[in-house]
Amino acid sequence: MEKIFCDIRKCLGCKSCEIACGVEHSTSKNIFKSIREEKKPRQRVIVRSTTKEPFPLRCHHCEEAPCIEACMSGAMYKDEKGVTRHDPDKCVGCWMCIMVCPFGAISRQESLALKCDLCPDREDSFACVEACPTKALFAGTWDEFKKRLGQEKR
Amino acid sequence: MHYVIVGGSASGINAIEAIRSLDKEGKISLISDEEFSLYSRCLITYFLAGKLTEDKLKYRSSDFYEKQKVEALHGIKAKKVLPEKRKLLLDNGRELAYDRLLIATGASPKMVEVPGSDKEGILGLRTYQDAQLINERLDKVNTVSILGGGLIGLRAAYSLHARNKQVKVIVKSNQVLSQMLDSGAANFIRRKIEQKGIQVMTGLAAVEFLGGKEVSGLVLDDGRKLECELVIVGKGVRPNLELVKGTEIKTDYGIIVDDYLQTNFPNIYAAGDVAQGKDLISGQSTINALWPCAVAQGRVAGLNMAGKKLKYDGSMAMNSVEFFGLPVISMGITRPKDKEYEQLVREDEKNFVYKKVVLRKNRVQGMILVNKIEQAGVMGILMRKKVDVSSIKEMLLEDKFDFAKILPIIKEGKELFTEREFEESTISY
Repeated sequence: MEKIFCDIRKCLGCKSCEIACGVEHSTSKNIFKSIREEKKPRQRVIVRSTTKEPFPLRCHHCEEAPCIEACMSGAMYKDEKGVTRHDPDKCVGCWMCIMVCPFGAISRQESLALKCDLCPDREDSFACVEACPTKALFAGTWDEFKKRLGQEKR
Repeated sequence: MHYVIVGGSASGINAIEAIRSLDKEGKISLISDEEFSLYSRCLITYFLAGKLTEDKLKYRSSDFYEKQKVEALHGIKAKKVLPEKRKLLLDNGRELAYDRLLIATGASPKMVEVPGSDKEGILGLRTYQDAQLINERLDKVNTVSILGGGLIGLRAAYSLHARNKQVKVIVKSNQVLSQMLDSGAANFIRRKIEQKGIQVMTGLAAVEFLGGKEVSGLVLDDGRKLECELVIVGKGVRPNLELVKGTEIKTDYGIIVDDYLQTNFPNIYAAGDVAQGKDLISGQSTINALWPCAVAQGRVAGLNMAGKKLKYDGSMAMNSVEFFGLPVISMGITRPKDKEYEQLVREDEKNFVYKKVVLRKNRVQGMILVNKIEQAGVMGILMRKKVDVSSIKEMLLEDKFDFAKILPIIKEGKELFTEREFEESTISY
């Protein structure tokens, strides 16, 4: 399954991914218009830091996703591509998903859970990956990511 | 192969999906004594509060059984298992033969046995039908007494408060949520719900119900009388064991299962609120009657019934709930009894923030988070993997604590953090 990976060594902590994510999930998808929207745009990737370096925290779309197992309303589910999706219509804000996400990658937006949805409005790109100036963020499969890391070592 | 599943809630539904993921052809029959199907019990209090419509209670879509090719028998009670004959006795007189059986009969609310407890208007709250019974009475109700200050008691209080009823919660212990929280965190919750107009009375119990045919009040053990037209009993649940009574299937408090969720009969499994198995933290045999545990157990039992040999790690006490915008999550041991445990606490009364971590030999054994809950799962994984956290101990309660801070621990503990997603996040670290 194609998803987002990060080469931590390349991350500057510039938060371009956060901004791009917020804009992508706004109604207008325009940075200037989006900040005026009634529902403020919120990012689903958050740049935190290890004890030394920056680290973009996001949903890993786990193969066996604990959030889906814990979700008591059936709001969290896998789509046909293997993406862990969230149906806001079914979410009641019980935070069972937050309780079990080992990455702490789910946040609260009022009474709804909020997490990476791999940009469903886009055809074949991800907003954060596109915005990353150092290409620390990578779109592809796990094997492709490993391959890239291997190539760059040489 | 004929799989028979008794109980159509979290465990039953997830067992069906698990079986079907491995066995597309085998026959699956589901027996449930409820007419209303495929719903999530945890949503019942939201429904009662009027926050959710009936269709939103559904955990799976209505064509679920059809799609999974399941023969679903609703409104039928399985009365007894005959393990030697590999048969189930149903209350419609039928006998149903099985090759593999899953007992996922769940639990029922414990009711109070005091004079007058047979009066109308004294109800438990667990099923859709319970919620409907309460709904039907609500027009003639001004005041509700809730017996029990646990999760169900407080959620019931919250929903009836939302329906503009006067609500009093009567709690036997000296704090609310005593199974889930320590008194420090419980006080924050109590303060919040009292602010909103729900009255909480601790250290008290009902000793008698008053009224004619219908309840009109109750007497407390300090002699006080309370008027109420409805009583909701939220004093915990008891596993539904009728099915196995008088059989050779081993029971204690619940049905005893091994690490594979198998009973002492190799072709009979049990999962969910009726199954008693290993607790991940204490190692003791217990029932953690919780939705996520029931889901996980149903899945593992289903896979094993269909031929896999998958071990279940054990269940962990954990809960997440929100009252009037104040979220709280707790896991594991929150009120340690002996001195071997170390307790770290951070409190911010003004902002309703309370954080606590319970450690033993530098391993996280339990935690409570009130209001700032986002990192609960990161603490949870430290608990599950039983790793030494001495290197990050001072950080655990700080707001900056998050997954990034545990990368070194994951990198060092590769043999414990075997899920691929952990390797994905540490490979370039």
